[in-house]
Amino acid sequence: MRPLDLYEKDSSKRITIYFEGKVLDAYDGEKLPVALLANRIYWITTSLQGRKRGAFTFGPLPVVINGVKNMNGRKTAVRDGMRIERQNYGEFQEVVEIGENKETIQEVVDVAVIGGGMAGIGAVLELQEHLTVAIIEERGWLGGAMSLKGITQEGFDGSPREVIDELTSKFNENVKVFKGTISLGVFDEGEYFLVPAVKKGQLIEIMAKKVILATGAVENILLFENNDFPGVFRLDFALEVMNKWGVAPGRKVAIVGRRPERVIPELEKWGIEYVVVPNPKRIEGEEGVERLIDMNNNVYEVDAVIMSDYRIPDINPVTQAGGKLTFKWGYYVPVIDEQNRIREGIYVAGSVTGIKPHYANYLEGRLVGAYILKEFNYKSTPAVYREKLEKYEPEALPPLHVDFKAMDLKDVQICGCDVDLKKVDDVVKQGITDLQIVKRLTHLAMGFCQGRFCLFNGAILVSQRTGKEMSTIDLPVARPPLKNVRVKALAKEG
Amino acid sequence: MNSDIVVIGGGITGIAIAHELAKRGEEVTVIEKRFIGSGSTFRCGTGIRQQFNDEANVQVMKRSVELWKKYSEEYGFSFKQTGYLFLLYNEEEVEQFRENISIQNRFGVPTKLITPEEAKEIVPLLDTSEIIAASWNPTDGKADPFHATTAFALHAQEMGARILEYTEVKDIIIADNEIKAVKTNNGVIKTGIVINATNAWSKLINAMIKLPIRIPIEPYRHQAIITQPIKKNAINPMVISFKYKDSYLTQTDHGGIIGGIGYEVGPTYNLTPSYGFLREVTTYLSKIIPSLRELLILRTWAGYYAKTPDSNPAIGKIEEINDYYIAAGFSGHGFMMGPAVGEMVADLITKGKASLPVEWYDPYRFERGELRQKALQMG
Repeated sequence: MRPLDLYEKDSSKRITIYFEGKVLDAYDGEKLPVALLANRIYWITTSLQGRKRGAFTFGPLPVVINGVKNMNGRKTAVRDGMRIERQNYGEFQEVVEIGENKETIQEVVDVAVIGGGMAGIGAVLELQEHLTVAIIEERGWLGGAMSLKGITQEGFDGSPREVIDELTSKFNENVKVFKGTISLGVFDEGEYFLVPAVKKGQLIEIMAKKVILATGAVENILLFENNDFPGVFRLDFALEVMNKWGVAPGRKVAIVGRRPERVIPELEKWGIEYVVVPNPKRIEGEEGVERLIDMNNNVYEVDAVIMSDYRIPDINPVTQAGGKLTFKWGYYVPVIDEQNRIREGIYVAGSVTGIKPHYANYLEGRLVGAYILKEFNYKSTPAVYREKLEKYEPEALPPLHVDFKAMDLKDVQICGCDVDLKKVDDVVKQGITDLQIVKRLTHLAMGFCQGRFCLFNGAILVSQRTGKEMSTIDLPVARPPLKNVRVKALAKEG
Repeated sequence: MNSDIVVIGGGITGIAIAHELAKRGEEVTVIEKRFIGSGSTFRCGTGIRQQFNDEANVQVMKRSVELWKKYSEEYGFSFKQTGYLFLLYNEEEVEQFRENISIQNRFGVPTKLITPEEAKEIVPLLDTSEIIAASWNPTDGKADPFHATTAFALHAQEMGARILEYTEVKDIIIADNEIKAVKTNNGVIKTGIVINATNAWSKLINAMIKLPIRIPIEPYRHQAIITQPIKKNAINPMVISFKYKDSYLTQTDHGGIIGGIGYEVGPTYNLTPSYGFLREVTTYLSKIIPSLRELLILRTWAGYYAKTPDSNPAIGKIEEINDYYIAAGFSGHGFMMGPAVGEMVADLITKGKASLPVEWYDPYRFERGELRQKALQMG
C-alpha cells in the first residue's frame, strides 16, 4: 500500500509512473493528482507569481506529461510509464502537431440537461418516457455532489453509490448521457437552444427545445494566509479522494470552516485522524502543509487542511444563459418564475436555486421535468413534487466576517490566479465598489474559473469594507465558454 | 450647477478631450452614465497604430503616439511600443502596403516592408509558410485601455475637470440655436458648449439637439477572445492578417493572448457573445499562430464599433447649433486616437482651428456625399 492508500487496490492494475524523475506506484486509470497524493506528493504546479500549488483547491493544474507542456493534470488519467513534471502556469507547448480536426457531432433532443447531479437525474427520469433528453456531466460519472459522499443521505435508502446506480440504471433509450463532457454555454438560436459541449476534445452541438440548468453549487473558499498551498482541500475534492479513489487527504488533517460536521463522519468512517480548527490564520510548510496556526496562535501539526464551510450556487451558467440574480438566504440565486424558469425555455433545478439536501434537489429535478412535460402537452403532476419540496427551506449562509486586521492580506489568496486579498482590498479602500471595476483593476474573476470561486468573496469584501448591502452589489455576468476549452476543440478545419 | 464646457461620455475620447481642456485652463465637466471607461473602452483590444492608408490618419496617429509616450511616462501607465506586424500573402497586398508605407514614411512613421524570416524573428511562434512579406512598424504599440483612461481621468480631475459618474444625460436645452443647459438624472447643468463623445450612443445625443445634418453612426457588435496567460513576451506586437478574416491578436500585459476577427453583426446594441464567433476566431487565429491550438480559452466578450460609412470618425463643430461639437464614430480604432482627438477638439474650442488635419473627419462630409477613402479597420 502507498502511504495514503485507505485500502489495498486491484494489484492487476498496478503501474509505474515517474514524477520529477522519481519512481512511483500508481493504478492504471487513476486520476493524476490522486496517484501523486497517494504517494504523499502535494505540490504539483507553480502559479505565474511562483506560488506552489496543489490540485485540490482553486487554480488550474498545468503539468508536463511525457514532455508535453500545459496538460491539464486534473483531467489526466495515469498510464504505465507516464513521465510527469512540474511547470509554471505560463509554460506552454510552442511546437504543436496539427492533426485533422474531428467532425462536429450534432444531436437533436427535446431537452438538454446540463449537470448530472441528483437534480439532473431527477429531471431525466421525469422526462424520459415522453421526450428525448441529453444529460451533460463534466465528471466522468453521474451523481454530482452526492456521488462524493460515503454515507447514506437523507431521503434515500442505501449508500449514495447504490442509490445513484439504481436511479441511472432506469435511464431508457430516450436518454443520451455525456459524461466527462463540459458544456460551453447556452445560445439562443431562436427555434432552439444550442448547447455546445466538448468531450475529450470532440465538439458536440446539442440542439434542444428546452434547457435545464442543473449545474449545482460550489464550495465556499475560506480566506486565510496561504489558503492556496498544496495540501489544502476544498471539501468536494477531499470527499472525492477518499470515497471515489480510496486515498486519504493526509495522515492527520485539520478541518477549518463553519460546517465541520459536513466532513467529520466521512473522516471517521475511514478512521482518519482530524482536528477541528474554527479560526484558521495561516498555513506553513515546504512542499505541502506542515502546520496550521490559528488566530490565537495555537499551532497544529497536520499534513492536510480541509475547508468545510458552506456551499453557494454556481451562478455562472445562469448569467451566461441570460438569467438574473437575486440575493437570498445569504448568497446569490437565480431569479425564477413560478415554473423555475430563468427565461422562456430555460429552467433551473437543484442546488443552483438554493442549497438543500440531495433528495430535495432530486425532487426539484423531477419538478421542472414535470413542468416541461406539461409544456409538451403530456400529463404530469408538478404539484405533487412542489408540495414535497416545500418541506425543504434552503440553507441560509450566515454572513462571513473576514478579520482583515489579524492577517497579512498579501498571503491570503482570493482567486486562483495570483490575486491576493491585499490587491483587492486596496482597490476597494480607494472607494471603488463596482465589481466590474475591481475585476478590471485586480484581475479578480478573470482567470480560469471565471469568478466561480472568488466573486462571492469579492462581494463580501466590498460589503464589509463599505457597508454596502450584499443585495445591492451587482455581480459581473459570465461569458462563454463556461468552462475552459482548448482553442483546437473549436477551430474548424481547412 | 454651471460649467463652461460639458463633455458627454466618459470613455477614452471624452476623458482625453476633458483632460486637454482642463490642461488649457478651461472649466469642463464630463458626464458619464455609468463609470469612467465603462463603454467600448472597457471592451477594447489594446492596439495603437500609425499604419493607416491616408495622410490625415497617419499624421493624427503619429501625434497620438507621441502623446501616448509622453503621458504614459508622466502618469505611469503602461504603453509598450512593441510594434504592429501586418502579414501579407500575395503581390497585390504587398503593392497596396508599399503605397501605405510610402505615405507613412513621408510623415516620419518608420514602417518598412520585411521578409517572412524577419517577421519570424519578431514573433517566433508565427507560421510564415504562407506569407511573402510583412509590414512592420516598431513604434506602434499597445496599452491597457481601462488603466490608461483612468490615468487620464485622474489627472484631468487634478487639473480641475469635474467628472460625474452614474449621471445620464436626459436632454439638452436649446433656445435660439444656443445651448442653454444639459438635463441629467442628477439635475441640470447650465452650459454653453457641449461635446458629444458618446461614440456608439452618439445618435441618441444628436437626436436630443435635433441635429440638422445626417451623421450616420451605427453600433455594430464585434467580439474578442482571451486565452490563458502564458509566459511574457511570447507575442509582443499586434499581429494582423487581412487574409484570415481581418484578424488581430497580441499578448496582454497579464500574459493572455487577446484577439478578434472581422465578424460583424449589426446595427445592434445587443452585446451577447455568440457561438459562431467562437468557432471562427479559433479557426483563424490558430492559422496565424499554430501553438494557440493548445491554449485554453478563458472568455469571450463583445463591444461596439461605432461605425460610419467610411470607417472614419466625425469630429468637428456643428454650425447650426452654437457650440455643439461631435467626436464620435471611431469605427474600431478610437482608443488609439484618443489623445490626438483630445488635442484636436480642444484646439477647435479654444482656437477655432486645429493644427492636425481635423477636416478629414468633417461631420458634414456624409451630407455632402464626400466619403473618405475607407480607413484601415481591424476586426
